[in-house]
Amino acid sequence: MDYRKCASDILTEIGGKDNLVSAAHCATRLRLVIADNAKASKEKLENIDGVKGVFEAAGQLQIIIGTGTVNKVYDEFIDLAGVAAASKDDVKQAAAAKQPMWKRAIKTVGDVFVPILPAIVASGLLMGIVEALGKIESLNFNGTAWYQFLDMMSATAFAFLPVIVAISAAKVFGANIYLGAVLGLMMVHPSLLNGWNVGSEDAIMSMFGTTSIPTWNLFGNIQIGGYVLGSISRHGYQGHVIPIVIAIWVLAKIEKWLHKKVPEMLDLFVVPITSIFLTSLVTFMAIGPVFSLLENYVLEGAKFLITNPFGAVVIGALYPVTVVMGLHHMYNGIESGMLAQAGGFNTWMPVATAANFAQAGSSLAVGIKSKNAKTKSVAIPAALSASLGITEPAIFGINLRYMKPFVCAMIGAAVGGGFAAYAGLKATAYGVTGFPGFLIITNIPAYALLLLISGGVAFTLTLIFWNEEKKEEKKIESEKTEKTVKAETKENTVYAPCNGEVILLEQVADETFASGALGNGCAIVPKEGVVKAPFNGTVTMVFDTGHAVGLMSDDGIELLIHVGINTVELDGKHYEKLVSMGEKVSMGTPLLKFDIEAIKAAGYDITTPVIVTNADDYKNIDKPNTGKTAAGSELYTVSK
Amino acid sequence: MIKFDYVITDAVGIHARPAGALAKKVKEYQSKVVIGKGDKSAEAQKLMAVMSLGVKCGETVTVTIEGDDEEDAAPAIQAFFNENL
Repeated sequence: MDYRKCASDILTEIGGKDNLVSAAHCATRLRLVIADNAKASKEKLENIDGVKGVFEAAGQLQIIIGTGTVNKVYDEFIDLAGVAAASKDDVKQAAAAKQPMWKRAIKTVGDVFVPILPAIVASGLLMGIVEALGKIESLNFNGTAWYQFLDMMSATAFAFLPVIVAISAAKVFGANIYLGAVLGLMMVHPSLLNGWNVGSEDAIMSMFGTTSIPTWNLFGNIQIGGYVLGSISRHGYQGHVIPIVIAIWVLAKIEKWLHKKVPEMLDLFVVPITSIFLTSLVTFMAIGPVFSLLENYVLEGAKFLITNPFGAVVIGALYPVTVVMGLHHMYNGIESGMLAQAGGFNTWMPVATAANFAQAGSSLAVGIKSKNAKTKSVAIPAALSASLGITEPAIFGINLRYMKPFVCAMIGAAVGGGFAAYAGLKATAYGVTGFPGFLIITNIPAYALLLLISGGVAFTLTLIFWNEEKKEEKKIESEKTEKTVKAETKENTVYAPCNGEVILLEQVADETFASGALGNGCAIVPKEGVVKAPFNGTVTMVFDTGHAVGLMSDDGIELLIHVGINTVELDGKHYEKLVSMGEKVSMGTPLLKFDIEAIKAAGYDITTPVIVTNADDYKNIDKPNTGKTAAGSELYTVSK
Repeated sequence: MIKFDYVITDAVGIHARPAGALAKKVKEYQSKVVIGKGDKSAEAQKLMAVMSLGVKCGETVTVTIEGDDEEDAAPAIQAFFNENL
């Protein structure tokens, strides 16, 4: 593959350098932020050789290129575009700045709740295992020392969830994480009533002095329409995750403002105490009661929807759409809220599983039905990944591109979601769906059935209703054939560039070539004065002197054909160039002409090394058969 | 990042042999070495890319060395240019 060509084609199709804001890459994709998306032609981008897929997500234009090649294309790309390399985070930020407020808010929820996943998954898995063992009566596991110990262990993260959330939120909002931890700990302080035992309505009402929860009335008993000014309900916020996120946001704002205003030498004495004091007051007086109540409404609403089969059908169907829009990060907030509640289970996860597994089903069906090798090579791994819970490759790489599989997946998700609610499935953690979900689910057989239903429906429907469209592919094919009529060649093979005698590289009478310092391969003592293309590829380099030519084969071999030893000194005499840099050539195209007798007469050795210069990319370069050869016959093969 | 300019004195410019020797030298270090000529540039490790710059005698190249061992690599690479090119 010609990385530079691929990169320059991409640059052209996104509307040139002027339209590029920043560029980064991950393991498989080029992630670009471009100023005007309308200038980029997705269809043309997809047709570029080397591009496996294109989609827009999170404000980025993501171009799938593949592991091991994306970095090379990226290097060429930034070279061509003249932009500085940006880190993934830079691109994400540039992309985020382009998004509307509500989208950024949802992204923030994801940023807070995704990093705490290890704690949640570890505790959730442990909890799932302990519960499963506890249910087996013949084991008598319940009440044993191990049971109690493990029960304590697995409940810890949930009992003190606000603290974990506080630390994560402090990182996201830029507050001091230790102050954040203090605030989180304060909200679950043991001298407060346990929040699991207090209804959030009661908490609000306590400020009006109408419930039994004790309060601290900081400003005496001044009342404004029944509201006791500065009243703090003496209960903790176990079971709530949103109040702490808001509180940390406020903390960060206050802290940053103070850092700016307070002289540096007083900073340590003034800023921490002031920011924690003010934030705590605001949190316990207002943020805590108000947002815990709101959080409860949202959770109750979500639970009502998700545990009722009709609601679950709707959520299941819409779930993939929300993934496309990037809204699904917000679900982590809902799920952790559900788990944080007293005796809480995650009832959202089964519906999410239905949606994700349906994507796997659709993508698998495309992979099986498609005749196109490229589509197959994306669809099947994407299906596997989706069955393990990572759906982006399946959604963006396959299902959404052909639309019908996506719709089939929505139907599969809806049916599966309905079943999940009907069966009352629930999980002990979040962040895990698909096959790994077996570890956190409370009813294993029903979960297996759920996978079968959602995946099966999507798979079957896709198989029936989706048909591959051929016209696009044909168009590209015909374009290609117009450009060059390609000779039939085998992959990873170098053919002889001229008639002559093949010798081993070690036999070349020049230390640099013989030692393999320039690359590996063999040499030919030519019998005729013309070098022909040894494969289908591109001319990457021709010396002005015409004594050597560099080529890149379509499958990635970089080859140097150096006619004669030290012949650079002839300065072009006796040589004639027939091609120029960047030209596409097919096997057998004449590249250089030279006068063997004249070169010999000038005192030079005409031996012509034919070597692979990117030998690092190839493990094996086969020894050639020495002796007579004719232009166009196999010289040697390489393998990775 | 360490940068230096070098005027090529070798009569035939950067052709296959010195490009190969340079690539070999550069591979001894972890730093990324980029050779620039005008608005074109090439990673010194990549033989073909370096040759395709078509650097001739009397032309100036800019060598950029960047990486953890750049302090060690830069003098060695500078010496290589002085001796070979």
